[in-house]
Amino acid sequence: MTVKYEGQKIAQNFYTFAVLLFLVQVLVGIIAAIQFMKPDFFILNFNIIRSLHINALVVWLLVGFMGATYYVITEESDTELWSIPIAQFQFWATVLTVTLVVLGYVWMGINPQANSLIMGINPLNEGREYIEAPRWADVLIVVSVLLFLFNCIMTVLKTKKWTGIQGVLLSGLVFLALMYIPGMFYTKSMVKDQFWWWWVVHLWVEGSWEIIAGALLAFMLMKTIGARREVLEKWMYIEVGLVLFTGILGTGHHYYWIGTPAYWLWVGGIFSSLEPVPLLFMVWDAFRTTREARNVTNRPGLFYTVAHAIFNFVGAGLWGVIHTLPQVNKWTHGTQLTTAHGHLAFYGAYVLLVISMIYVTLPSIRGVKEYNPSRAYLSFWWMTISMVFIVLTITGAGMVQSYMERLMGLDYVAVKTTYNFWFWVLRAIFGVGFLIGVGIFVIDYFKLGKEPVPVISAAPEKA
Amino acid sequence: MSNKAAKNLFIFGSLFFFVIFLALTFDTMSTLDKRAPEITEKVNAGKMAWHKYDCIGCHTILGNGSYFAPDMTKVVERKPAGYLKKFLMDPKSVNAKAAMPKLGITSEEADNLVAFLDWISKVDTNGWPPKPILAVAAGVGGGELTSGQKIYQAQGCSGCHMINGIGGTTGPELTKVGSRRDRKWLYEHFEDPSKVVANSAMPSYKHLGDQALNELTEYMLTLK
Repeated sequence: MTVKYEGQKIAQNFYTFAVLLFLVQVLVGIIAAIQFMKPDFFILNFNIIRSLHINALVVWLLVGFMGATYYVITEESDTELWSIPIAQFQFWATVLTVTLVVLGYVWMGINPQANSLIMGINPLNEGREYIEAPRWADVLIVVSVLLFLFNCIMTVLKTKKWTGIQGVLLSGLVFLALMYIPGMFYTKSMVKDQFWWWWVVHLWVEGSWEIIAGALLAFMLMKTIGARREVLEKWMYIEVGLVLFTGILGTGHHYYWIGTPAYWLWVGGIFSSLEPVPLLFMVWDAFRTTREARNVTNRPGLFYTVAHAIFNFVGAGLWGVIHTLPQVNKWTHGTQLTTAHGHLAFYGAYVLLVISMIYVTLPSIRGVKEYNPSRAYLSFWWMTISMVFIVLTITGAGMVQSYMERLMGLDYVAVKTTYNFWFWVLRAIFGVGFLIGVGIFVIDYFKLGKEPVPVISAAPEKA
Repeated sequence: MSNKAAKNLFIFGSLFFFVIFLALTFDTMSTLDKRAPEITEKVNAGKMAWHKYDCIGCHTILGNGSYFAPDMTKVVERKPAGYLKKFLMDPKSVNAKAAMPKLGITSEEADNLVAFLDWISKVDTNGWPPKPILAVAAGVGGGELTSGQKIYQAQGCSGCHMINGIGGTTGPELTKVGSRRDRKWLYEHFEDPSKVVANSAMPSYKHLGDQALNELTEYMLTLK
């Protein structure tokens, strides 16, 4: 089982870059965790470290999606990628842009004045969470994404073989590209600034990214257990449909307190409460498909796929819905509970998704049928147990903060430095546990298919 | 349900909800300017400074941001403008325990930032952040307040100072101030803080008048 097309091997470049950025993300994450206890701990201030932490996350997930898409599109179209040079150019252009942006952040960290306006724009950092990348980088990113989409769409058009998975995957990616635009203009009003900013952030992670997740979930279930396409695609349509029916108006849960009209309390409260429903469908879908099919060809791939479905529901769904009603959110908005939700949601919904895609597709890219899965499982447990405890400690901190600061009226700094101190200590310790898990995964990524397979994994597997 | 039906449901259902979302967005945009004060050039310059220094990389504003440092939405209600300006330009000179680094914010930028923060505090946020229940109750539920306590509350002293766990950490804690300072010191301090404490960022309260300052001093002396 090796891949038929060169275009699928391109995916590996993207995966490698993604995996390295993942490592960077977690390393700076640990610095950030220590800065919660000791703000002067590092030469770069917390704001720079956090920009690196969340930007590395967004970029490595996007790069992972791109690699996965090149693989899926060529496989589903059953043809060579329309242009391999464009894909390679687009890859290196992305690497270059990301490197320049990172260097810009570091420079700004050393000399904040370097970010002074040049021709009306901040040259190093736009100072807007998640989309800190400066305007020139926005343009380069858009060019890169357009080249990527053009290449994929031309590939599909070449054979005119549209599958449901392809269609949904590409529509998710086009939606993703379009939703980058509302983040690319300046508004004088901070209210309008945040209003459009949420179009990007919310309609990415609770819109287009979940569509991509739905399409990739169907693809992975098909590949790992040979489930039937018709059934998978029907449920995929229902799932991604429900994602958008609830998620688009669910944006309203970000419009409660930012200066927007009060009707958003109703719209956001009702629709965002329903957002976990499609995620629960995905879990049910994964279990039903797994139960019906006995022919597992890639056990770690399936394992990660099911784990992704579960933690997508728990992290993005449950940890979000607990504080999504306006009556609750009034007290918890802007507290550590949001951080807890953010960590488990990104881990479950997207980190595990990209890692699943890597385990599902990498063996065939590297041309191996069997590989030793022990490191894949080991890294999963290190990462997942650590992340669950990171999230529990931040949830605890958020509950203490909501109660003490918001209900009792204690000062923010007093709560943070005194009453939540041990939560920060525990979070940093579990952060190191997570880093160990990532380290094992990175080693496995580079070694997969390049070492002899132990006899035991070739033995018949029990159902 | 057939695959084709499911696909059509996905496409047309999503479009339906997106159209509703666009309509609500359109309506919201028409109301936003009425829900906030006018944006002057100074306020806009403050917002640009906010972006330049990536303030949101640590703070939150309207509850969104990085959760590492205090929310800035209503900060001007808690701290006097003069304090904010001094703090922005050199945080640790005002409060040695401050986690915020000196970023090189100029005097003009600090003024603009304060104007921006003043603007954001006046945005109609549907009542967010809510007033802390227990702190409010503590002020009204414990029987008749002395006139000194009332002045303490009316002037928002707890924005910077803490008494029994309620209040800010940026000014000295006052829980036992009565055992540290005498009547004369306290009175003179209210009249002109920087005369008694060098480099103090606290504004003068001389304008309250002799009687009010005496009542406030009386209250401080009970804190032992």
